[in-house]
This record gives sequence, structure tokens and C-alpha cells, in this order.
Amino acid sequence: MPWVQKYKPKKLEDIVGNRDVALAFGRWLKDRLAGKNVKPAALLHGPPGVGKTLSVEIAAQQFNLELVELNASDVRTKEAIERVAGGAALQASLFGYSGKLIFLDEIDGITSEDRGGIPAVVELVKYSRFPVVMTANDPWDPSFKELRNLCEMFKYDRIRSTSIVAYLRQICRMEGIIPDDEALKVIAEHAEGDVRAALNDLQMVAQGAKKLTKEMVMGLYYRTQQQNAFEVLRRLFSAKTAVTAKMALEGSLVDFDTLIKWINENIPYQYEDVEELAAAYDALSKADVYYARVKRSQNWDLFKYVIDFATAGVALAKKRPFKFVKYQFPKDILMLSATKEERGVKNEILSKIKEKCHISKRRAIIEYLPYLQIIFSENPEMGHKVAKELKLSKEAIEYLSGRAA
Amino acid sequence: MSAEAEIMWTEKYRPKTLDEIVNQEDVVRRLKKFVEEKTMPHCLFAGPPGTGKTTAALCLARDLFKENFAQNYLELNASDERGIDVIRTTVKEFARTIPLGEVPFKILVLDEADNMTADAQQALRRTMERYTQTCRFILVCNYASKIIEPIQSRCALFRFSPLKPEDIAARIKYIAEKEGVTVTDDGIDALLYVGGGDLRRIINLLQAAAALGGVVDGKTVYRISGRVSPSELKKMLDMALRGQFIEARENLRQLMFNYGLSGVDVVRQIHREIFALPVPEDIKLQLADLVGEAEYRIVEGSNDEIQLNSLLAKMAFLGKKIGYAK
Repeated sequence: MPWVQKYKPKKLEDIVGNRDVALAFGRWLKDRLAGKNVKPAALLHGPPGVGKTLSVEIAAQQFNLELVELNASDVRTKEAIERVAGGAALQASLFGYSGKLIFLDEIDGITSEDRGGIPAVVELVKYSRFPVVMTANDPWDPSFKELRNLCEMFKYDRIRSTSIVAYLRQICRMEGIIPDDEALKVIAEHAEGDVRAALNDLQMVAQGAKKLTKEMVMGLYYRTQQQNAFEVLRRLFSAKTAVTAKMALEGSLVDFDTLIKWINENIPYQYEDVEELAAAYDALSKADVYYARVKRSQNWDLFKYVIDFATAGVALAKKRPFKFVKYQFPKDILMLSATKEERGVKNEILSKIKEKCHISKRRAIIEYLPYLQIIFSENPEMGHKVAKELKLSKEAIEYLSGRAA
Repeated sequence: MSAEAEIMWTEKYRPKTLDEIVNQEDVVRRLKKFVEEKTMPHCLFAGPPGTGKTTAALCLARDLFKENFAQNYLELNASDERGIDVIRTTVKEFARTIPLGEVPFKILVLDEADNMTADAQQALRRTMERYTQTCRFILVCNYASKIIEPIQSRCALFRFSPLKPEDIAARIKYIAEKEGVTVTDDGIDALLYVGGGDLRRIINLLQAAAALGGVVDGKTVYRISGRVSPSELKKMLDMALRGQFIEARENLRQLMFNYGLSGVDVVRQIHREIFALPVPEDIKLQLADLVGEAEYRIVEGSNDEIQLNSLLAKMAFLGKKIGYAK
């Protein structure tokens, strides 16, 4: 059983992260059912996985309403609207409910695929005897304007990753798993505010385990990312024309910044000839120059040139036929996480030097660190005195003593 | 074994007052005037590393503020403070309270100011103007030309010249005597040669050489200096020119991730090395062109790893054209 089902909250106040807005929605529904003068419909909006649909489901249960889920094509005609939204109360009571809750999930889907859809929904809202509730990721599309006026708006936010971590820890406790804090943090950050995605990821990697480590989590993300990235790289490097190279990015699950790292890592494996190698890197470095301009000026119109050089530029560097090679995971990503602890210690040392020796941390790397390493490894007595003055931690002393040996 | 604390010699022998500074006579004379009159403009201290810029600022502030030094003096470093906003907030915090004592202003030193972008400098200029009543700025940099014109024109410029070899030698002897270390004449020559005019580097070299325990002679100094410059760098350039790109890139990653150098630092170190490479003279200039382009791009905000990889790949191609490996 999916954990999102298993651990589904029963009450609005149990919704992770968006408790207040969920409760506000509950109050609106109560007023609406009591016939108070409130807007006839509600629009719950926000990014995926933050509890919008869940709020609707819980509220329906709490108020004993039959949840009638529709899509726009169900309500195209007056008769259809009459059928679903105007039906007799008698009919509803047959099922033991005290009423209906009409629910249209993800209405932003309607605008693109269905021209007559929105006016039909507006009609539905105006006509319906029952409360109408909708969800949307982005409610600010101009075509929703009339609809928005009829709706009470409820804004759901991304869940803060500290809240997600706390929630995941709770789930682990119930599943009898001992989690590593770092591991939960990685899942939470990866989920980018989507608590449902976080819970799914947790289940995928931790179900049945006794302990959850950071390595297990990283393994999960590497694997999914890797398969997709291999595919994109193969399409890119094998492209014979600029256009096919540019199309290689379609369907990429990997975000662009990471993809650049993949390309950067694998150019030398694909291009063994130094002329091809130089041409490919020249193109990638040009893409990077454009990318820097985009970020600096925030002029995203320039982004197309980044794509041109990162794809077509790199692909057209080849002089001989494409051949299959084994692609590698970007090593700098691995190195960054592997050396994280060491960098922490080093940063401590540099901060202390900065404080005492009137120099930036950046320059202290060259101007002080190597000398300290010699002093600590060659002359522990002098080293210890310096350590005392700089107030260095034990880890810092070990680092300085070990490296230069 | 005694367990008393020992500071780095660069700090232990840093002059405490303007009187103790033996070099930069011209600069010191002008700064002493500020102390006498208890007034000063914003200042720009420019000169090579290790010539006493930060020391002069410290001494000036100590002489001016005396016992109120700590409350009235603040040192920031443009290389470390993340962005102009941090600097602005810190300055605001520091400058909004009234200075303590009889001097009507505080002193804020912004070190390595030439590492700020032009935009950040514009913002700094406005900040300087806003707090000019209560706070004087001393901007410290290697090159005055990297400071934008409007700031330069608001500052009194102080040029720090490279220290004279005989003054450095005297300082080495003084420290050695105080520390009970024997330094031979060829040891001093080696320190002068390796350290250039950079007194900080020379004192660090001296302390590290003294840590070895014996007499500090030429051999010890060169041994130390070999150990403090990353050997991966030379290896990296050699590998690249031989066309062994993947190995060269591995060395680059060692430098950046393990050694902790920034991309700009790597590219500047490369520039120092290229003229010593065993390649034809005209190729050295072609290399300088490639290195220069990479440095420019990185400084302008490009990704250092990609730009440096691109540089190494181009070096590999160049190495093949000139038959470097043979």
C-alpha cells in the first residue's frame, strides 16, 4: 500500500505545512453549507503535493458530503449541469450523505485543451446548488478572471523542508526505521516543497529497511537521474544536425544546470581526438558565457543561445562517426559531497586566520594554509601553540597535521 | 613543554603604531598628519601584496583612537563578504552610532576592494556618501585602476611601493634574533628571491622554515617554497599539453576541490607558470591569450570549471600541433 494512502491525514488540522489555509477552507465550506453569504465556490491553488486535493477529500468526509469529481467536458450543456449540480436532495440522501461537493481537480489543464471548458465551469458555479471546489497550480491565467471573481481563493504554499523532515521522521518512527538526519534532509530538499513526492521517495528507498542512510538516498536519485541523462547524452552526441542536437533536450528529467555538468563530464569520453575535444569544449564554454550573461542581466531571452552552443555546438564538434561510449556520472557532484566534511574543517581554519591575520579567507588558502600545514606536521610543539592562539578545534589540528605529511 | 599560545609571526611582528613602520616614509608622514589634526578624508591604499597597506590602516586607527580603537575600527573583506548588501548592512550598523572619544568619526577598512564588481562599487560609493559624517573609509587594493573613477576621486590616494631588499633583510634578521633562529646569508637571499617584495609571504616562509628545527639556509627555504606551491598545477599543464586531458582535468579537480583554490586563483597561477613551460616562445603568447580569455570570462561570472576545462582542452590541441609530447 502506498504510504501516501496509509498515512493520509484524517483531519484538516493534520495537513503538513498548510494547516492554517486548510482550516480556513474548512470554515468557508461550513459557512457555505450553512447558507451564509460567502462566495459560491472555492479555488485552492499552489504547487503540486502540498495538500490541495487532500484538503478537499478530508473536508468532504468531515461534512459528510458526496464528492462528485468532474472534468470540464462533463458540464458542457445546461442539461448536464442540471444533472450533476442541480439534482434533487432526495437523490443525494439515498446514499446517506447530507449533500454533494462538486470537485474539479487541476483546472489549469482546461485552458489549453478545451476552449469552451472555462465558460462551462463558470455556468456550473453560478448554477450549482452545491458548493463547487477547484484546484489549480497557477490560477492567474487571464482566462480564469471571471471564475476567480466567483471563488474564495486559498493559497497553498510549498512546504518548508524542515517541516518535511519532521514529517518524514514521524513516518519512519511508525515504520520502525531509524533514519539518518542527513538522509531525510536530502529527500526533503530534493522534493522542493512537495510533501507527497517526499513521502513516495522515502517509501521507495526505505520500505522494509531498519535504517535509512544518506548513501541509500543518494543512490536512489543518482539512478533515476543517471538513466535519463545517459539517454539525453546519447541523443545529443549522436546528432548529425544542429536541429536534432537541440531536440535532444526534449524529455530531459534532469534540470539544465545538472545537464551541463553531465555534458562537461562526458565530452572527453565521447571525443578522444584533441581537435574534437577542443571544439566541443569551446562550444560548451561559449554556452557558459551566454549563461553567465543571462544570469547577470536576468534576460532569459538570451537563454536560447545557451542551448544552441551547449547542444548543437557540442554535437557538431565531431569529425568522425559517432560511437557508443560509457558515460560517467559528473564527478564534481560526487566530489562536492565527498569533501563536504573536509571543507567544513578547512572553512573553520580559514575563518580563524581571517579573524587574527587581517586577510580574506580566499587569500588565506594560499598565504597561510600551506605554511600552517608545514608547521603542524614538522613541529607539533609550535603547531600546538599556534592552534591555541587561533583557538582551533581538534579536527582542525588533525587536518593541518595530516595533510602536509 | 610550555603550552603558552603563539601567534603567527606575521601578527607578532606586525607594527602597532605608525612610528614602528620603517618603510613607506612618504605614506607614513601623510598619515601622521591625519593623527595630529584628528581629521582625514576617505583613503585609497594601493600597492602590491605584503607591503603594509592593512598594517598602515591598523596603525593609523590605533594612533588616532588609542583606547577607543576597538569600538571605532572595523575591517571588512570584499572577497569574503557575500555581496554588497552584506557590506551595506554591516556599514550601516557600524556607522549609525556616534564615535566614542574625541575623534569625530570611525574608520572602516574595506580590504581587497578591487575584487568588487563595478556594480558593487557603485553601490559602495553611495554608501560612502551617506555615512561620510560619522565614518571614513579606507579602501585597500592591489591596483587603484580597478577602483571606479567616482570612488577614486573621492579618496586620497596612497601608493605603497615594494619594500627595499635591505629593509626586508633587516626585518628578517630582527625576527630571527628575537626568535633565536639562525638564518644564513644564502637563506636571506633565498627568502628575498622566493618571496619577492611580499613581507607577509617572507615571514611565513621564515616561520615554516624555522619549524623544521635547524638552521634556515637556502636549501631549507627552497624546500619550503616547493611544498607550498601546489605541484598539481605544473603536472596539470604538462598533462594537458601532452593531450592527456582526463588526467589534467583530474589534477584541476584536486586543486579546486581538495586544495580549495577558486577558479580565478587557478587561472592566475597558470599565468605565472606558462612562461616557464618548455614550449616555443610564440606559443607562450598563444597560451597567454587563451589564459587571458579564460580569466576574463571567469571574472565576468562564467563557471570556472567549464572555462578551465575548455582552456585545458585547447592546450591539448595546441600541444598536438607543436608536437609537445615528442
